[in-house]
Amino acid sequence: MTDGQTITCDALVVGGGIAGLQSALDLADQDFSVVIIEKDLSIGGKMIRLSKVFPTLDCSSCITTPKMASAAHHKNITIYTWCDLKELTSNKGSVRARVTQKPRYVDQDKCIGCRKCEYSCPVYVPDPEQGGFCATKAIRIPFSNAIPQTAALDPESCMLCGKCEKICPTGAVDYFQKPFDFTIEATTTILSTGFEMTTIEGKPQYGDGKVPNVVTALQMERLLAPHGPYNRVLRPSDGMEPDSIAFVQCAGSRDKSMGIPYCSRFCCMYAIKQAMLLSGALPLADIYIYYMDIRAFGKGYEQFYQTAKAMGIGFIKGKVGRIEEAENGSVAVRFEAQDGTGVTTENHDLVVLSLGVLPDWSPEGICSVSTAEDHFIQTVQPSIGPTLTSRQGIFVAGAASGPKDIVDSISEAGAAAMEASNYIIAQGK
Amino acid sequence: MSDKNKKKNKNKAEQERKEDMKRLREERKSSIQRAATMVKTQRKDLKVLMKQMGSESATAPELAQATGMDVAQVIWYLATLKQYGEVVEGAKNGSYFTYKLVVKEPEEAVA
Repeated sequence: MTDGQTITCDALVVGGGIAGLQSALDLADQDFSVVIIEKDLSIGGKMIRLSKVFPTLDCSSCITTPKMASAAHHKNITIYTWCDLKELTSNKGSVRARVTQKPRYVDQDKCIGCRKCEYSCPVYVPDPEQGGFCATKAIRIPFSNAIPQTAALDPESCMLCGKCEKICPTGAVDYFQKPFDFTIEATTTILSTGFEMTTIEGKPQYGDGKVPNVVTALQMERLLAPHGPYNRVLRPSDGMEPDSIAFVQCAGSRDKSMGIPYCSRFCCMYAIKQAMLLSGALPLADIYIYYMDIRAFGKGYEQFYQTAKAMGIGFIKGKVGRIEEAENGSVAVRFEAQDGTGVTTENHDLVVLSLGVLPDWSPEGICSVSTAEDHFIQTVQPSIGPTLTSRQGIFVAGAASGPKDIVDSISEAGAAAMEASNYIIAQGK
Repeated sequence: MSDKNKKKNKNKAEQERKEDMKRLREERKSSIQRAATMVKTQRKDLKVLMKQMGSESATAPELAQATGMDVAQVIWYLATLKQYGEVVEGAKNGSYFTYKLVVKEPEEAVA
């Protein structure tokens, strides 16, 4: 691809997470040409970063990786990663997207993913793909099953020492790469831009991210993953195997003080899932979930919740008011129990916050689709057409239109693909 | 093209690249300085940590106590070194796992 180039396709999919991949595959299998643009260095979205999924406890990457590979190898799908969507306009049966390709400082066509550059790089930087619990290098393959398996250099951490360039067997390192724009012209678009979590620093009552051993649910996913930072669950402040772990629910959602009055929908289930996985990884540990109410809304979810209770996971109904640092790296959780025992403080070795869910992308200034009060993309016919947006020919799938679990995201992605398919056919293309 | 001209063109290209690199270093001066300072600290920390580990296995708090480093920083380095095959996890000592340096053959050692 070159600067100023225009690419033509039937459907543009914005976002290469599980919903985007499913939509793209469904359309490509119907012989439509599809382009996926992804803001990250790899496709796979949040799902590829998870350990297991609920309620089946299947390995998350075992489900996601084949879809990523299928999309990457599909003859009708072209994937552009590390892209920014600058503008998306729709007019009379066609959409036009202006996209910026950010520089990787590595030639994607030359890189063979050998990681020699990564091993030779002398700069250690916190690894965002491992929750920051260990380091990666200034030039690296983002994670082991990333697609594409292409290295990228972080210029902010690079010393320009030249080691990576010298060791690269294909001469792929290019310190002089610049961002450039290209255009995609398509008949239709599916927005599958996913969600983001609120930050751990958002709530002073919960320590503002300064209390050691208070982690986010996504960080816990990495601790539980077999290829995680420690390959086991350890306390990040000192490497101790925790004996007591607590989950604090609604730690950023259903909370007007955080500006997020709505429920994040899937936090109850992932907290139960993580508690069950912890129970298997640390059989002697005491595990508690502080909750306001458990929302087990899907097929098999209530049984999953009941199984967790039967496994000995403690469910404490009460709102946590304060989280503070305690002695020896412990975390003091102060809460008001709803069983009548009143305000209590319990110490735990590790505390996991189920943070709020926010849209990962705002169409403001880029695309004229409407957003709802919660800033997620508005669906104009939520009951009969949950993938329809305010713009004809632009559809939405997955958590871009509101907090949604993987099962719902995938089924909605299929629905969006069918709407897009019908739209393309209706345009006579 | 004659060998003499080829060599001349090669030299010219090399000279241009040198100039480009010089300009890039100037553009990224502040981030390069920041990264260099970080690397200097990391090298120092890792040297102390690896020297302390020697051939003995130790837990993160033991290493922190012996080196005077923050224990959270020690476990961060240990997790990193483990990812890059420099350290292996050993037996458990109480609630903590021990870590040991990987003894590499001379040709395997990373420069």
